[in-house]
Amino acid sequence: MKEKGHEPFSFQSQTWERYHNNFSGMVVAPTGFGKTFSVFLAVVIDYLNHPNNYKKGLKLIWISPLRSLAKDLAKAMNAVVEEIGLDWEVAVRNGDTPTNVRRKQERLMPDVLLTTPETLHLLFSQKKNSRWFKNVACIAVDEWHELLGSKRGVLTELAIARIKKLSAKTRIWGISATIGNLEEAKNVLIPYAGKTTMIRAKEKKKIEIVSVLPDEVEELSWAGHLGKKMSSKIIPIIYENNTTLIFTNTRNQSELWYQIIIEEAPDLIGQIAIHHGSIDKVQRNWIEGAISEGLLKAVVCTSSLDLGVDFKPVDCVIQIGSAKGIARFMQRAGRSGHSPFEVSKMYAVPTHSLQLIEVAAVKEAIKQNEIEARHPYVLTYDILVQFLVTLAVGEGFKAFDTFELVKEVHAFQYLTKEEFDWCIHFITNGGNTLNSYEEFHKVVLDDDGVYRVRSRRITMMHRMNIGVIVGEVMMYVKFFSGGYIGMIEEFFISKLKKGDAFVLGGKVVEMQQIKDMTVLVKRSKKKKAITPSWLGGRLPLTSYLTHFLRLKLNDALTPNNREKELKFLHPLLKRQENNSHIPKSDEFLVEKIETKEGHHLFVYPFEGRLVHEIMASLIAYRISQIKKLTFTIAQNDYGFELLSDQEIPLHEDNINSIFSKENLIQDVTASINASEMASRKFRDIAVVAGLVVQSQPGNKKSNKSLQSSSGLIFRVLNDYEPNNLLLKQAYNEVFDYELEKVRLQGAFQRISESKIILKKANNFTPLSFPLKVDSLRGTMSNEELSKRIERIQKQALKS
Amino acid sequence: MTENFLIVTQKINCKNEILELTNQRAIFWESQNSLILSDLHIGKSAHFQKSGIPIPSNILTTDLKRLAQLIHHFKANQLIIVGDLFHAEYNKDLDEFKSWLTQFNNLNIKLIKGNHDRLSDKVYQQFNIEVFNKNYTENLLKFVHDFDNIEEEYFVISGHTHPGVFLKGKGKQRIKLPCYQVTKQQLILPAFSLFTGLNTKNVPENCKNYCFTNDGIFEV
Repeated sequence: MKEKGHEPFSFQSQTWERYHNNFSGMVVAPTGFGKTFSVFLAVVIDYLNHPNNYKKGLKLIWISPLRSLAKDLAKAMNAVVEEIGLDWEVAVRNGDTPTNVRRKQERLMPDVLLTTPETLHLLFSQKKNSRWFKNVACIAVDEWHELLGSKRGVLTELAIARIKKLSAKTRIWGISATIGNLEEAKNVLIPYAGKTTMIRAKEKKKIEIVSVLPDEVEELSWAGHLGKKMSSKIIPIIYENNTTLIFTNTRNQSELWYQIIIEEAPDLIGQIAIHHGSIDKVQRNWIEGAISEGLLKAVVCTSSLDLGVDFKPVDCVIQIGSAKGIARFMQRAGRSGHSPFEVSKMYAVPTHSLQLIEVAAVKEAIKQNEIEARHPYVLTYDILVQFLVTLAVGEGFKAFDTFELVKEVHAFQYLTKEEFDWCIHFITNGGNTLNSYEEFHKVVLDDDGVYRVRSRRITMMHRMNIGVIVGEVMMYVKFFSGGYIGMIEEFFISKLKKGDAFVLGGKVVEMQQIKDMTVLVKRSKKKKAITPSWLGGRLPLTSYLTHFLRLKLNDALTPNNREKELKFLHPLLKRQENNSHIPKSDEFLVEKIETKEGHHLFVYPFEGRLVHEIMASLIAYRISQIKKLTFTIAQNDYGFELLSDQEIPLHEDNINSIFSKENLIQDVTASINASEMASRKFRDIAVVAGLVVQSQPGNKKSNKSLQSSSGLIFRVLNDYEPNNLLLKQAYNEVFDYELEKVRLQGAFQRISESKIILKKANNFTPLSFPLKVDSLRGTMSNEELSKRIERIQKQALKS
Repeated sequence: MTENFLIVTQKINCKNEILELTNQRAIFWESQNSLILSDLHIGKSAHFQKSGIPIPSNILTTDLKRLAQLIHHFKANQLIIVGDLFHAEYNKDLDEFKSWLTQFNNLNIKLIKGNHDRLSDKVYQQFNIEVFNKNYTENLLKFVHDFDNIEEEYFVISGHTHPGVFLKGKGKQRIKLPCYQVTKQQLILPAFSLFTGLNTKNVPENCKNYCFTNDGIFEV
């Protein structure tokens, strides 16, 4: 590298030195500064210095969350290897690797293998697989911050544990972007004895955030459906820059914005593309290639382009709507201006007025360097069950050794022997520990004390099922004349009739027929088409962001000169203050508003959608203890609304007890349908643990006679096996992730320390307005909605 | 699980035949002293178990207990099963069914074959089951597995779809319940087995839903 005129960054040379001195560790650096080479070259240098310490076969296993990264990384690594003149083979192995290449690798493993956590587990399910891992010198985990907060992180932890067992000297190195809990992230990755280190780059990525403001504050509808009017501000930005990535939050919005932009600027057709998770893979690859080559002016995308290969030509990023979190905001901004000393430029386009406060909050958070933490999953019995079967399919396992191995992993450090035994029983005799199922022989204990899978059919089914990414049931969408467009959720298709038109990948198509999990369509000339809604597109604001949001609101009326967002919003904020109140950071605002519609209660905890959903049912429950009332509930990231046809009995004298933190969890449990929520959580668990056989999109061989829904199995287990650990896990996940128990408790703690302010207003206030619109959204078409919004807004302005 | 099931009924008139719908997923036809039911899927849990999916075995035991109670309660001497009696291959669930049958001295079983009933006729003979490949008619009632078209002269009774209905409650609460779908010309039975899903689509035109719970049956 030096010869080429590159001076290594100090964090790189530090990594090389520490690696050489037998440390494991984690490298933290912004993208674009060569963190890949910090670890990769460390291994290469160590090899050059001590070639005798290395044996034939796999030396470095490179785990990365994304398949798409692997190919380019391998190319870069190969270039280095060639330049140095090493006789190393660098190869990729993942779901896209052709079978003949895989067979070849199995005969002789390359020196460096770039792979995913799932593929590693698949390797563990092969016969005689441990020979491949005997001489692994280093396991590197790229983008560890991405894996950490998901169940894939647990897969990674288990894979490392097993390889470490087979090759005790293996060093473990993680590579991560900055997150709020780096120390914890390191300990989760490397819970083993031995020297560990954390290396942080001093270099910082410069980020410039520009809010795009409409000409007047009124122009931006208060709770604008989409901020469509803002398109006139976006088009010039696209023209000014070489390549612009336009991030939206949902696939639905990306389709809509794509249409809006080509309507507004038809000459961009052919230079603008749309990219999201449901677009056909071949087309996505083509788009990614075209971005790299600078052939595209703009790409409308979703989180599908959050990660991945660096696109050199991208010099501008536009975020439409809220990015929902500080880390995500920075991640997206970082996609532009990629080389180390360039500035990443991000235009934030709000879709309603209040989002401008959010932009101000993000800026503040970045200034203070406060970024969200990622919390690791623990005690995921579904993954443990899957892992045990994987081992049984592969070389077989002994109970005691495996218990020891699993206990070393962070996720299972508190696993009890009873729970482990339950898992063993579950895969050998089936469910209930009191009786066993006669015909159930998934895993069998042989006389030599080793658990193995004997059935070929079970082996095959299990290998198909390895992994923890459980999507909706997806169907391929394909033209009658041939050619895939993308994938769509079965849930959406089931509501369509033959001849109905919908938009996918920017194309308007008509549904014709469904065959073998594939939707056959033809091009449509219809003007009106439905934009598919994909489930799960609604992330809540993170608690870090909401914290800064409350702070910004606190001084919203007295912004300093540089906060142009707040200054711009001043008229609106003034109206909020005059008609009601702007909560200071030690205050908690509740508004009672009476309209023709009924009695509204608006509450603003600023805690994100999920927490509000739970709080809303909880408060509704507590109020109904005083007086039997029926409520309609709505929530967004700022607060929630309870609507009733009768006066809501909430006054200054009982408000503190209604919002009390006492009996919180009991009241929550009483107010929500926990078993319904657990049933939803159980869907993923059932698939991971092998209780539900997934049908693959486009797959003709569906195991028809084995089809059952996770909901059905959940019900059956609830009735017949209430002690099933997987059920327990489902309930735990509801409380930890769905109800965000910790955050909920934190919120009530904060409320108990705040001054509760109850205001009466005669009409919708600027804060309540977005909520009102959200609750209308569910029931109306777009056109009706924007008219209705306008009308309500006018009424509010009069008062 | 409860030892005894509460049986609640509702009578309806179909082409002058009185049928008594029960909340236990079977119809009693008094004039013929018969119970009409569908989709028992015997062997389903064992089939899943064989494939390495642990499904509790006592589902079948409970289903059969419930059927026995219905037979005793109505003193029925005939079962008319409109298909999907057996789920897949011959397995130990079928043995359990066979030994269960021995408690009845005079129980006639008629089966209209469903899409799952793919075992050889010999197997059904072993169980003393009278098998009909397409349909069976008695008076003006015609029994088929999957309904395909309306026939003016007959009232058609079928199964196969496992009908269910969504009940919308306050707020966003929704619950799904199994039901009988009844029109002037046809009736679709709920699945008898508890190890079956519910299908809320494909509702016939102008149909009344009789849905039920453990302790009641009501029209929606």
